[in-house]
Amino acid sequence: MRIAIQGIGVTGGFGNGVAGLKDALITGECMPDTVPVNADNGSIGISGGMPGEMPVFTADTAGLKSFVSPRLLRRVDHYSRMALYGSFLALKDAGDPELDRKRLGIVIATGYGAMRTTFLFLDSVMETGEDQHASPIRFSNSVHNAAAAHISILLNARGPALTVSQFEMSFPSALVTACQWLAEKRVDAVLVGGVDEYCDVLGYCRQRFFGNSRCPAIEPFEFDKQTAIAGEGAAFFLLSLDTVNGSGYGYIEDVRMGNIAREAVPDNACLFTGADGHKKCGNAYKQYLDKTMPVASYAPVYGSFPTATALDMAVAGISMKTGRMFASPETSNSDSNLNIIKTEQSRSDRKIGCLKISDRGEYSLIVLGKD
Amino acid sequence: MTMNERLKKIIVEDLFLEDIEPEEIDDEEALFGDDGLGLDSLDAVELVVQVQKHFGVEIKNMDEGRVAFGSINTLAAFIEERQ
Amino acid sequence: MIPIRPVAITGVDCLCAAGLNLSDCMDSLFSGRRNCSSPCLFSSTHPRPYPVFEIRDAIAGTNINDLINDRVNAREHNILRTSRLALAAARQALENAGLDRDNLKGKRVGVCMGTTVGSAMNNEAFYSHYREGNHPDMMPIKQFLNSNPAACISNDFQLSGPCQTVVNACSSGTDAIGVGASWIQSGLCDVVITGGADELCRVTYNGFISLMIVDSSPCRPFDVNRAGLNLGEGAAVLILESEKSKRARNKKARAYVCGYGTACDAYHLTAPKPDGDGLRRALADALAISGRTASDIAFVNAHGTGTPDNDRVESGVLHDMLPDVPFHSTKGYTGHTLGASGAIEAAFTVVCLEAEKTPANIGFTDPDPELPSSPQQHMESIKGDFAISESLAFGGNNSVLVIGKGALRT
Repeated sequence: MRIAIQGIGVTGGFGNGVAGLKDALITGECMPDTVPVNADNGSIGISGGMPGEMPVFTADTAGLKSFVSPRLLRRVDHYSRMALYGSFLALKDAGDPELDRKRLGIVIATGYGAMRTTFLFLDSVMETGEDQHASPIRFSNSVHNAAAAHISILLNARGPALTVSQFEMSFPSALVTACQWLAEKRVDAVLVGGVDEYCDVLGYCRQRFFGNSRCPAIEPFEFDKQTAIAGEGAAFFLLSLDTVNGSGYGYIEDVRMGNIAREAVPDNACLFTGADGHKKCGNAYKQYLDKTMPVASYAPVYGSFPTATALDMAVAGISMKTGRMFASPETSNSDSNLNIIKTEQSRSDRKIGCLKISDRGEYSLIVLGKD
Repeated sequence: MTMNERLKKIIVEDLFLEDIEPEEIDDEEALFGDDGLGLDSLDAVELVVQVQKHFGVEIKNMDEGRVAFGSINTLAAFIEERQ
Repeated sequence: MIPIRPVAITGVDCLCAAGLNLSDCMDSLFSGRRNCSSPCLFSSTHPRPYPVFEIRDAIAGTNINDLINDRVNAREHNILRTSRLALAAARQALENAGLDRDNLKGKRVGVCMGTTVGSAMNNEAFYSHYREGNHPDMMPIKQFLNSNPAACISNDFQLSGPCQTVVNACSSGTDAIGVGASWIQSGLCDVVITGGADELCRVTYNGFISLMIVDSSPCRPFDVNRAGLNLGEGAAVLILESEKSKRARNKKARAYVCGYGTACDAYHLTAPKPDGDGLRRALADALAISGRTASDIAFVNAHGTGTPDNDRVESGVLHDMLPDVPFHSTKGYTGHTLGASGAIEAAFTVVCLEAEKTPANIGFTDPDPELPSSPQQHMESIKGDFAISESLAFGGNNSVLVIGKGALRT
């Protein structure tokens, strides 16, 4: 029994929905917004005199209101709204199938959780210096599994729900459990997704760790340069065991974690890497990638954040369905002659591997296939 | 700004009632329960914190809370008695 | 749901306020001793202190940092307390299982750990410095990025295999064990290091107090005068092993994970559903998967936090679904250790099955007429091969483990 992707729901710097992502992939251009540093968490002080702006691929969840009435969203923050929006879009993309809500599972991956609300909760104590002024609404929305709770409530999904968090390895880890639940028939379908949000403190930390260099775009294959640009967003998938009328997005054939030997990548596959402009991971990608296999990285279209791996898989699903391999938006690769996908071309019958390597030497590989 | 107006502003802002304005809250309207404003247990504990923060009046438990949170008028009276 | 073959537990250990290893904890439990006090790890401006269950070396009064240092070497000081607790518990549990680094080499070893605080970037010192417009020291952020509990254990033993940190609020420990067991059952792993860890921290202390569900005296699970939970800290790890790997070194199982059920209330962010809908389905699934019925269950280690809502819902569900099965809460000995509680309570359940007795439900003195069932007030001997450990969590998760005695013929 194979695990089929029935629907995909995405939101990020490129816009919303599979159509929005596909357009950005075809044109290859997607400009980040400029976000004032330390504007959004209402903190009193300026952040140590850092330059006031930063490029960020931000997600806009205004479209969520067409799925849920504003009244039901009143205590739901940006982090949970992105996850909700991804979930509703994935269900719609799957044709809003009839699902037994007691057997619909939810698995959410997040690298940092509800960052803005976490710091707004700290603000509620620090503003007056009184612990009694801690805000319970902020606190209850600051926990990582708040997004899964909101989705479970608003979709009446009463099956298992799990939230997983381990930075860049969060989404592959979540996918392992989502596939496990389907294999052991614990659920009939599972909504699995990755979500992370940008926040002012994150921007400040990036400036402190990587300096203020403003590169115009992420150059994923320039392994010795630090060109990462912050991003945020969500990518959700409705998975179920193979059904006759598949969506065309293909099947999840393998999900691996640990230190993965190159042979794990099926021959005649193309490789969508999670390389996103972080110099620290450059060397590992350089050593791992073999020169013949077609490779691409789509981070320049949505930015760098821990669960961008889920967006990589969304691109792989779209490639499966359209039969096209989209051009890698930024192809400069000065020190090694990788076979980078420079123009949009037919995927023919290639499988697609989504490879992510973390800066702590953790590897994950997701393989999509199609019959 | 009267006590009632201040309370309505606090409720709209701190309980994130995005879709209504403070003036639309009726002084006698039930704050909790399905009819009226429809606030729930999480709003109640937030309101306890905001009342303590803005007016220095402590609501020790939910029994006291039920008395205080009947409506804007009962809340205003509860605070004024203890300020 | 497909019934599963039981998954062997060949090693268990834990540390919390009740003791620095599992046998010390059980001594405290079986002698009805508990030690909670106002926090000494941090200070607070709350008018009245709320008791917490901190880990302190009961004898020398030294703090966990000194205690762990001898077990977790110096290099690990750049990781947060939660991950140091997790590492200490993992090392003790592997020792108990008779497995060392060399045994693990060449095996497919997964790590699945539950936490809440362990994955939260909420260092107050860093943030308050930052929001005043200054340049804070970045060490707390580096520590956070080095401190993912499952990754820390996997890294420490140089393992290669699935690695997952579950952040499912108060059911994370139970869920991590359920997920870990499925990795053995599906043949993905030979060995899985699984459990949960959470440190006491000011942010959760203020958060839970703001929700008005914290008792200002030592907690009284299921008691008519119960007024909330007490927070605690700790970690517990279970070593799960495939039959093949266990037989190859003819190792006896201490117990078995026989079934795992989990379901959501889909009701409210912070309140359990009054009819306990999710808990009922999680219990039914766990029993179905383990191929057992209520009559096979010797006792239940209930979630029993001591909050009015949790204990009411849980008592109602246990009354309906397991009417003749005795239950108790051990939160009175450990406090609510959040992400670690499900794992600590699973570890206690293993020992209670071995010792054929359950501890007193400390803190419970007067039954609540509103609750249809009450826990066992005193220590009792038990007969039977199976027990249940269950957790209810913020967000509406309900998770249940059926644990079987080690002497089971599989």
